[in-house]
Amino acid sequence: MDVEPILKVTNLTKKFGNLVAVNRASLEVNRGEIVGLIGPNGAGKTTLFNAISGLYRPEEGTVFFKGMNVTNWLPHKICKLGMSRTFQVTRAFTHMTVEDTVRVGAYNRFNEKNVQDKVDQVIKVCDLVDIRKRVCEDLGLASLRKVELARALATEPEMLLLDEAGAGLNATELAVFMDLIKKLNQESQITFCVVEHVMQMVMGLCQRIVVLDSGEIIAAGTPNEISNNARVIEAYLGKRAVHARNQ
Amino acid sequence: MNVKNLFNPRNILILIGVGIALAIPLIFNASQYVMLLMTTVLLYAILASAWNIIGGMAGQLDLAAAAYLGLGAFTTGTLLIRWNITPWVGMFLGGLVATALAMLIGFPLFGFKVKELWYALSSSALVVVLQSLFMMWNEVGGPTEKYLPIGTSPWYSLRFNDYMPYYYLMLIILVVVLLVNRWIRYSKLGYSLLALGEDEDAVEVLGVNSQSSKLKALAIYAFICGVVGGIFASIYGYVHPAFFDTSMSMEIAILGIVGGMGFIYGPALAAIVMVSFREVLRASLGSQLAGLYLAVYAIILIVVALYQPRGIAPLVERGIKKAQTYFVELTRGRRADIKSH
Repeated sequence: MDVEPILKVTNLTKKFGNLVAVNRASLEVNRGEIVGLIGPNGAGKTTLFNAISGLYRPEEGTVFFKGMNVTNWLPHKICKLGMSRTFQVTRAFTHMTVEDTVRVGAYNRFNEKNVQDKVDQVIKVCDLVDIRKRVCEDLGLASLRKVELARALATEPEMLLLDEAGAGLNATELAVFMDLIKKLNQESQITFCVVEHVMQMVMGLCQRIVVLDSGEIIAAGTPNEISNNARVIEAYLGKRAVHARNQ
Repeated sequence: MNVKNLFNPRNILILIGVGIALAIPLIFNASQYVMLLMTTVLLYAILASAWNIIGGMAGQLDLAAAAYLGLGAFTTGTLLIRWNITPWVGMFLGGLVATALAMLIGFPLFGFKVKELWYALSSSALVVVLQSLFMMWNEVGGPTEKYLPIGTSPWYSLRFNDYMPYYYLMLIILVVVLLVNRWIRYSKLGYSLLALGEDEDAVEVLGVNSQSSKLKALAIYAFICGVVGGIFASIYGYVHPAFFDTSMSMEIAILGIVGGMGFIYGPALAAIVMVSFREVLRASLGSQLAGLYLAVYAIILIVVALYQPRGIAPLVERGIKKAQTYFVELTRGRRADIKSH
């Protein structure tokens, strides 16, 4: 299959002063995939996300999205092209209602006349009907994660970057969230790239996993391959764990 | 819109407010002092409502209201003094001049995402810089007042002996500015600005161009300030660099915050209450202890900041909701009575 990947990151480097947060990372995501991006704390996952979505300007490397070079594009332009994202620490619009929050995203592709239809549709899909008039500051974490997904979804993206969307959710909430992502992936053909620490979510959701450690990509493959990869185990658990496993 | 919506408590309140505002000068046969006071109150209400767009909605702590007001005043004044161009035209040109400068300042500031204290300082500096410039620019400003000629017709030169026409002019502008506020609040721009006021990065990844959204907000705000500046010059009958008043800019922002950030009528309400209160205090306490009114004013601000940090509008909003449920229960109760009979 020689279909061009929807997202292609080549040799991306992002530095903060002397700290190299992401070091020559390359990554490809194919259309329709759910790709997991994992790695220990401080590995550079969120930095990589920020560089892809336009919030950071990388020092080196290129980001191609839908065949276009979007390196150094402003975030709103990348969103117009069809990519949106959520944030690790939920960044809700605290004083706005759920409905108004979703509306901000919906204006990306809709005008005053038909924006309400899109808002209604997204609110229904994300199961937010009961709380649509509630103000975000009154909501719990599980609802906030859904609202963040909803407002990104309202922009009608072809690809969504989810930054730790499962963090802090209990088992039931997580299952609901995973079902929603699977449904969006299958029915709306949205490509996902998810940064995740919750292994249950990564293993249950992702077709392919990319592992980042100290800013570098150290492994990529199916969930099975990754969980048996020595370098990944070393990154997460240290050298002794690898030895222990080999003995 | 059906009749029931038309007569909800909110609209009734608005109608009563406008009615009172229209009738006050006629009923009370108000003195010139009271008329000037009420015109000043409306001036502050307009500026605070305009500030609401950039400050309340977009969350940019703007302290340059007097800069745009002063530019509007000088444009209008100079056009009338030098070329005998009527302030009716002059004030709109003044609005455009203010907008042009605002764009010049806003473009880099919003491009670099200057916010909070840093934006406040930058915008505040604009007032000081303009004051110094106009103090030195003798052709237009200078240390002595430049008087606006009355000419043959007061309607042409917008120079009345009576404050009444200014009062009604200000009232019309206030209604227009409130309608503009309302229109923005429930449009794409308004939703984008409200969200931008909370978290800029999170809004940008939803396809909102933060720089252009904020520039639009700043342009509308500066234009309103500039237009009002033209009338301001006409009311006082002269232009002077003291119009570039830092403390006035600050007061506008305070009224916007006390009124309730992002609530359409909050800042206007705060201006009406606070500025009248201030003037009454000044009149009654000024002779005994000059400056005491400022202390009382400050205490009110502290109390609001402590107990109602989101401003007085949410408080009013809660009251209206209560009234609404009361009305609904009342009508339901009646219907129940009819059914039971």
